[in-house]
Amino acid sequence: MKRALSSGGRKVLRWNSGLEIRLDTLWAALLLVAAGLGFSGLAINVGATRTGISDFIGLLSGATLNENQLFALLDVRLPRLVLGFMAGWCVAITGAMLQSLSQNPLADPGLLGLSQGAMVTILLLLVFAPAAPIGLVPVVAILGGLGVAVLLIWLTGGGHSDGLAILLMGIAVETVLSSITSIMILYLPPETSFAVSDWLAGSLFQASWGNIAALAPWVALSLPAIILLGRVLSCYDLGEETAMSLGEPVPRSKPVILFTSVLLTSAAVTAVGPLAFLGVMAPHLANALAPATGRARLVLSGLTGGVLVVGADALTRGFAGDIAIPIGLALTLLGVPLFVISMRLRAVLTLQRN
Amino acid sequence: MKRMLLLLTALLASHAAVAADRSVTDDAGRTVEIPAAPERIVVLHEPLLGVPIADLGLAPVGSYGRSDDGGTQMSADFYQLVLRDRAPDPMPRGIGALGNMDLEKLRTLEPDLIVGTEHDLEKAEQLSSIAPVYLQNSSTGRVRGFNAEEALAKLLGRETAFAERKTGYLARVDEVRATLPGDPRQQSYLVIFLSDQINAVGEMAGMVQALEDLGYDRLSLERDNTVAGFGATLLVPLSAETFGRLDPDLLVVMNTFGKQARDEAAIRQSLDRIVPGWQHFLKPAREGRILFVDSATVTTPTVASALHMLDAIEAWAKQ
Repeated sequence: MKRALSSGGRKVLRWNSGLEIRLDTLWAALLLVAAGLGFSGLAINVGATRTGISDFIGLLSGATLNENQLFALLDVRLPRLVLGFMAGWCVAITGAMLQSLSQNPLADPGLLGLSQGAMVTILLLLVFAPAAPIGLVPVVAILGGLGVAVLLIWLTGGGHSDGLAILLMGIAVETVLSSITSIMILYLPPETSFAVSDWLAGSLFQASWGNIAALAPWVALSLPAIILLGRVLSCYDLGEETAMSLGEPVPRSKPVILFTSVLLTSAAVTAVGPLAFLGVMAPHLANALAPATGRARLVLSGLTGGVLVVGADALTRGFAGDIAIPIGLALTLLGVPLFVISMRLRAVLTLQRN
Repeated sequence: MKRMLLLLTALLASHAAVAADRSVTDDAGRTVEIPAAPERIVVLHEPLLGVPIADLGLAPVGSYGRSDDGGTQMSADFYQLVLRDRAPDPMPRGIGALGNMDLEKLRTLEPDLIVGTEHDLEKAEQLSSIAPVYLQNSSTGRVRGFNAEEALAKLLGRETAFAERKTGYLARVDEVRATLPGDPRQQSYLVIFLSDQINAVGEMAGMVQALEDLGYDRLSLERDNTVAGFGATLLVPLSAETFGRLDPDLLVVMNTFGKQARDEAAIRQSLDRIVPGWQHFLKPAREGRILFVDSATVTTPTVASALHMLDAIEAWAKQ
């Protein structure tokens, strides 16, 4: 392994096998990992039980804790932390994939209706078959998301459609599905609609090792997806025509990207509810840290998404007191100021360069 | 490897084993092992579960909607308003912010039983790691009057306490019936709950029990194609038009317990806002067959709420 300059003149670490990683990408990833560890430490420390990171480290090295401390660390705080990171990772990667696919920086699973598709089918299940087994929920969510993806592909003329057409049709489908959600909330019995509204706002209350085990296969799926689709997406970033001229079979790869996005989104929505705006915000914040494409962009976006969810949850649990702040709102409170600052910095830098 | 084994053992040990003395089936069809005589009960709904249990003489140790010091996070303190001098002392402590239950706080209360409504089914598995969770039906269509309190008395071994409360209540029903101007057994009633809209109160509430035990029949709304309201704990929405045509022999109106102001003047103000001019076209109002009550005191499924309703009817009859 040695330091070198890439063909674009950027500093890279190059391995003998030919693999090279840009140094700014590596630093950004390390920064995100450090932020993630910092927020994790805070998340482990925050709670009604007097225990924290030192007890957790002690536990790993064989110390004995009382039942309340074990419950707080292993049944509440750690599952919340892990599930939050995994859900944020999935949603942010999906956002980055869809932005490359549609060649539009506004695309995210929410805007294209994929989250709404999963949500509406889960709502229909909760309302019309409340006694249905809990294990059916992820299946139904994936079917809902897939339904929207198939509808989008069909409405926009298959794999030959351009990114803007998918985005516009996605907005239309999302609007219709949002209306259905609103109608259901309006006409459901008050208690059911309160429960549904809670879930729509996003929640880590259900975080448990069981839920983590259910989401883990989908997070694992994201790793080969990053490896296989990363290069494809960097071609998409150059525009579909250029991608095709580079040998990318767009009509085949486009449905595969959409399908992967559906799987990751539906799994995350099932676990914690929709995480509004994270799919847009995380890739942009990652881009502000280190502009990247392809696999690096997906990994940085995923890390940013995970860190944002963990940070938002830890900060609100630590400082909100008796005010209930759902994770969706907490994410907005933490992420949007960062998003605004990064956008403003980008605008200022662009002005200075011109 | 040793550390992994220790961690695994710790993980398993954290699911506290609770002494389980008997097996019961809750209203969601779940089989639950609960102590023979639960002493440290946490309730997930104050008016629907906490107040009935406290009315039986058992003070819950924790109650959703309360702060750490036992103060209420809601606009009405149901324990105080419904039970008055029989309210738990000390008050049950909170289990986190409204809409954000805190599992750690819940566990520090060391409950031996958690009681929720059928709407808490999705939380039951998570909460079962702390204590057995029993789900009690509380919605209109599933329970009626103060049946929920009776069911809870049976669950918690407080049948004698419930029987005593009911005997006193039935004597009071006879007393109040004697003060009424006509025989209520020939008459109809309807209870209206004003939120941002007009709602008919369903079958689940102490006040409904009192009215029906006096002999009143609930005015049927089916011919108006009104929603049946199944699944709602309390309410069935009504249009202003339907409301204007209502003519029960006794119309009971109350403000939502989400408001601080629930007296007659506040209820009249709410009606003015939702149905302007109601005094002129609503027949029960023109003929003095309208009764204004405080929703927080009469809507819990308890004998105490039924007694408050009898007091209100008696006061109205003596006017």
